[in-house]
Amino acid sequence: MTDAGTAFAVDVTDARKRFGAIQALDGITLRVPRGQVYGLLGPNGSGKTTLIRTILGLVDGVEGEVTLLGTRMPDREVLARIGYMTQAAALYGDLTAEENVRFFARIHGGGDVDAALRFVELEDRRSAVVATLSGGMRTRLSLACALVHQPEVLLLDEPTVGVDPQLRVQLWNGFRAMAAGGTTIIISSHVMDEAERCDRLGLIRAGRLLAEGSAADLLALAGADRLENAFLTLAEGSS
Amino acid sequence: MSWRRTLAITARLLAQFRHDHRTLAILFAAPLVILGIFALLLGGGGDLPGVGVVNADAGPLGSAIVRQLEASEFVDARIVDTTKAEEQLTSGELAAYVVLPTDLTASVMHGAALDPEIHLRGTEPSASAATLRSVQQAMVAAASELAALGGLTVPELAPVVSYRYGGADLDSLDLLGGPFVGLLVFFIVYLVTSVSFLRERSLGTLERLMASPLRRTEIVVGYSLGFSVVALLQAAEILLFSLWILDLYNAGNVLLIFLVEALLVLGAVNLGIFLSTFARSEFQAVQFIPVVISPQILLSGVIVPVSAEPSWLQVVSNVMPLTYAVDALRAIMLEGANLASDVILRDVAVLAGFTVLMVVAAAATLRRRVA
Ligand SMILES: Nc1ncnc2c1ncn2[C@@H]1O[C@H](COP(=O)(O)OP(=O)(O)O)[C@@H](O)[C@H]1O
Ligand SMILES: [Mg+2]
Repeated sequence: MTDAGTAFAVDVTDARKRFGAIQALDGITLRVPRGQVYGLLGPNGSGKTTLIRTILGLVDGVEGEVTLLGTRMPDREVLARIGYMTQAAALYGDLTAEENVRFFARIHGGGDVDAALRFVELEDRRSAVVATLSGGMRTRLSLACALVHQPEVLLLDEPTVGVDPQLRVQLWNGFRAMAAGGTTIIISSHVMDEAERCDRLGLIRAGRLLAEGSAADLLALAGADRLENAFLTLAEGSS
Repeated sequence: MSWRRTLAITARLLAQFRHDHRTLAILFAAPLVILGIFALLLGGGGDLPGVGVVNADAGPLGSAIVRQLEASEFVDARIVDTTKAEEQLTSGELAAYVVLPTDLTASVMHGAALDPEIHLRGTEPSASAATLRSVQQAMVAAASELAALGGLTVPELAPVVSYRYGGADLDSLDLLGGPFVGLLVFFIVYLVTSVSFLRERSLGTLERLMASPLRRTEIVVGYSLGFSVVALLQAAEILLFSLWILDLYNAGNVLLIFLVEALLVLGAVNLGIFLSTFARSEFQAVQFIPVVISPQILLSGVIVPVSAEPSWLQVVSNVMPLTYAVDALRAIMLEGANLASDVILRDVAVLAGFTVLMVVAAAATLRRRVA
């Protein structure tokens, strides 16, 4: 399923957003082709969440242009084909795992609840009330809610923060499998060791994209051996 | 006990107040506003209850009573004829009328009791009380006046009181119960709705809803329907409890009462959703109570009739939905008014209009402060 004329699932041109004195987005241009796993790396407060919300059309007063699956944002209809996992696991604590997933499926026009629960390995806890689940389980459930309607684009805001290494590996395997099936994934993180798993990376700081490329590209560009150092070098170069 | 630790709590609390201007405003401004309204309400200054006087008495006692009534500071007395008095009592223009019969002076001179007819409308407890009190005073004053001139001994007072609606056996509960039911439903539904809707915001799930194809109107109407189901059940329960267990007087159709309550509930649900778009926390939603709910309770006509308020305050009362619900509930339960009555039609239309307005307003402001 492709929209004629657009190879990019996500296309952001010169996005700018100011919150009072803070320039949260300072002219970001970003293009993500279909089926790519794009990693948005940057420290806290660098504008990752604002950028993701801007892509979704949730931020008022943004300058610049955002196109999502060929649709100029903001637009509500196209959101049926998008999945969004918020930074904090936003769930209904008094509903069961299954009821949460089913609700998000229904507001997106339907989805496979069983498959989503299986994907995050929560089938056996489907009848558990969310308030009784552990933090890691809630994170997984939140992911299940974001992908239950089999979205074409999945926006994940720091999905692996606070997740143990074993589960992190599982989740990443899942993301790769989805990308192999054609899903475009944008995933934000402030942890550099996840970067190698992305097809392409964007380093963001103070609302600007400092550099883009594969992990290897960025290492070569900065002449560094580790991404952490590459980030520091590139950040210095920009200021 | 460590004072250092204890005072750390105190200092932190004061620092929080310093940052929370809204709470400070409510803490220091709301009581003055509410007390001010209260003083205006009970201090009078608005229209006094209208009392008609049909004076057929040939002797001086009738005119003396009329003079005293006209001077009364509790009622607005005016001379009327019987036909007009009947008409105006029905329409509500008069709270009561008094008939002084042809032979009033003559029979009192012959030692009979002073027994004018007092026809009370009976729907407004404060107006009935004011009427009875002022007529009593006028009779005493007029009779003593004539007694002082000689030729008359102060007679026994035995006014014959009749009620247009309800009756003498209606107690305060019967008179205030209906409006109070409306008030209660409105208040509780508002509270529950606004707090639950804010939970959606503070949990972050509203952000997810906004990132779905759901339209704002769909969110608001969906919420509104969900709460309305529960709120309508609550309204039904309260109504049945009032009528069957508390045995509230009701001269009207129970379904019509329920219709008015239902419209009030729908309005309260959507007011709750609308106002919660201006609050960031459940705490702030609760803070709207003294600002939005208390004045409505004071000004809705439950405590003091709207017509008795100073005229500028009447303007405020007349833009509040609760006023129309109270008016309709009184008219239905005490007067047995039905859908053929213009007053009921107007009240129902205003309540329905308010609900629609709140749905639109809530949908329009929902975008604010999602984050
Ligand atoms: N709704 C908001 N109001 C005011 N400032 C905001 C808002 N959202 C984000 N910001 C500010 O914008 C900057 C970027 O925030 P964010 O996009 O959340 O960063 P990140 O997700 O990378 O940690 C921060 O300085 C943050 O304080
Ligand atoms: Mg963030």
